[in-house]
Amino acid sequence: MAIKDIVIDYKHRQAGHCESGATSNLFNFYGIELSEPMAFGIGTGIYFSYLPFLKLQFAPMMSFRNLPNTVFHRSMKYLEVDATVIKKFKDPKESMEALDRNLEKGIPTGVQVGVFNLTFFPPEYRMHYNMHNMVVYGKEGNNYHISDTVMEHPQILSYEDLLRVRWAKGAFAPKGKMYWINNIPKEIDVRAGVNKGLQKSVYEMIKVPFWLIGIKGMKIMAKDIRKWPKKHGNEKASFYLGQILRMAEDFGTGGAGFRYIFGAFLKESGQKFNHAGLLEAADLMGKTANRWRDFTYVGAKNCKNRAKPEEDYGMLGDMMMEIANGEEHVFKMLEKIKV
Amino acid sequence: MEENNNPVYKDERYGQYRELLYYYNDEGKFEKKVGFHGEPDRVILQQAWDLFAERIEEARQKVLAGKASPIAYYMEKTLLDPMNLGLSAGISLWRVKLHLKPGPFKRLGEKTLRKYAEAFNITIEELKNVN
Repeated sequence: MAIKDIVIDYKHRQAGHCESGATSNLFNFYGIELSEPMAFGIGTGIYFSYLPFLKLQFAPMMSFRNLPNTVFHRSMKYLEVDATVIKKFKDPKESMEALDRNLEKGIPTGVQVGVFNLTFFPPEYRMHYNMHNMVVYGKEGNNYHISDTVMEHPQILSYEDLLRVRWAKGAFAPKGKMYWINNIPKEIDVRAGVNKGLQKSVYEMIKVPFWLIGIKGMKIMAKDIRKWPKKHGNEKASFYLGQILRMAEDFGTGGAGFRYIFGAFLKESGQKFNHAGLLEAADLMGKTANRWRDFTYVGAKNCKNRAKPEEDYGMLGDMMMEIANGEEHVFKMLEKIKV
Repeated sequence: MEENNNPVYKDERYGQYRELLYYYNDEGKFEKKVGFHGEPDRVILQQAWDLFAERIEEARQKVLAGKASPIAYYMEKTLLDPMNLGLSAGISLWRVKLHLKPGPFKRLGEKTLRKYAEAFNITIEELKNVN
């Protein structure tokens, strides 16, 4: 079934993080101004987990963000917007037809994809990472118009390529997941959304009763960093360290493992609701984020000269511990705040 | 972050895209800037690709020496491990591990070969040699 050509008038804006960027752009399409940090904060994008027993590209797995689709789903829930998420399809062709039907109705639709076969993506990032998000907003002949917030400009992808990335296999396989906004109320209650988002973030960072998630996970990682050179040798230790830095600084995080975006969210909501406590927390979060960037700069020296580390791993572990304590302080502060 | 794109990467295709990064300055303001990667980022990305290239070359030598099957080479080339290869080809883990050896690989039928070829996005003829 061929549908007629359609290109929705959708405004592409580059963003730091793929999913909160897509969410913020979708809000803007429906006429509500919501910046990327606000979407990220209300959707509780901030997270930390350290899973050394799972390996991602041959190094321990860690995550600085929530599970895929959390940001979209939670920001819709907390702002009380009517949205649909289809978690998985049985058949690849059916998933593409559903996308076509949406485009015909004029609905820009978000899809979850794997980046390994994504043709327009920067080649240096093409690893097996299945939690990337982008918005499809048009179809011309066999080509789809894509707004990928990591890229500076809108992109074009053929039917076969889009099908391939939507059905990428492996861990967290997207299985054709897609999501869109049905309709949006004229007035949204940002204040309630910020409250709910903050409380959920505080719970996930300091209260989850599991030792590898949140601040506790960061502290355990700090202890592990010290042991790496003895346990695995210098080569492997530097590669493991590189994994932390890659996850924190590259891979579309906006820098410092999303800590800058979260700080910007605290700042923006603090200014919006005139709340001194939030502004103070934003300042501390910004400073912690700067410490993360220092950590990258210092750590990268070890990755450059792998056999002979320039910096001591004990010092890096201390630095990570200091960052963890700083973040713990911020979240303990946020626990008491209600705007 | 730097203003110009960088030919420092070993692969010329790398480092051609500008991305958006956030900063926190001394005046207490969060800023957004669009630019190319700075040096620390290049170092850590290049490190990952160095390791992958090393593993790919190692696997290729093993195949040429007759110690591994071409599946081992293509598995490294697509940055997979046996578990993820099993998931994407729809073949159980122990069978994937078996097929990494040259003997069992030679006895594979058309159907299984096609499954692997589809997972690697190549043709069956390409799958049989590593050049």
